[in-house]
Amino acid sequence: MTDAEFRGAYESHKNLLFRFARRMTGSSEAAEDLVHECFLLVWRNGAVYDRNRGSLRSFLVGVTRNLALKRIARERSFEELEDEIAACDPIDPADRQRGEVVAQAVGALPPLQREALILAEYEEMPLAEIARATGADLAAVKSRLHRARESLRRMLAPLLEPNRSLYGK
Amino acid sequence: MENDDDSKLSELLREWRVPDAPRPLDERVLGPHKPWWRFLLTGSIRIPVPVGVALAVLLFWMAGALLRPRPAAESASPSLDLVQFRPVHDLNVRVIRGHESN
Repeated sequence: MTDAEFRGAYESHKNLLFRFARRMTGSSEAAEDLVHECFLLVWRNGAVYDRNRGSLRSFLVGVTRNLALKRIARERSFEELEDEIAACDPIDPADRQRGEVVAQAVGALPPLQREALILAEYEEMPLAEIARATGADLAAVKSRLHRARESLRRMLAPLLEPNRSLYGK
Repeated sequence: MENDDDSKLSELLREWRVPDAPRPLDERVLGPHKPWWRFLLTGSIRIPVPVGVALAVLLFWMAGALLRPRPAAESASPSLDLVQFRPVHDLNVRVIRGHESN
């Protein structure tokens, strides 16, 4: 990868990668570190990217995603990466901005569901591209996305149905 | 019904906004931003060898041409004499009027 190609790749993808990492980790500092690390890897091993195996975007998202999952596993060793999870309780939105409540709900999803949801819902990536970036098959991505939405509907019920009181009472 | 739920959920999810990549990240990844004029002091350019050789030859040739001693000029300024001067016998002056007068 030449210097100009590297700069072009960075300029075209930095915002998407930063937003993705920010939503995955919940921290701007961590997101900066992850995007920096991703481009360091690309600069050092630029030849690893193979055009025949998908777009540069899905490659970069894949690298950032792997780094984010490693970081999450290191920081929260008790958290399962697997997407099987018990039902989440509704979140109490009292006295908080709706955006904050949504951030907490998305942050409570298991990482594999979270990444699928962030890429599909916020970055509007096609499911096939998400599957390539995450190294999963299409059915797995669909299933994670479905379960993520189910959990969010439950957690965000007080905001989705404002007339209903908390915990369904 | 599920589609309606999905769109409501999507709408709610969009309320969580995060900023784009901050400027300090650019410096971390691409190095510090230099003003354009710094290039004039510290920049370098790569040129192909044939172009470089051609430029060097041209410079040598121009330097040689400038430094070569020139033969002294035959005279500093042409002399002027009135030997061939013949006065005009018949002088017809034709006046052409400017546009303003039309």
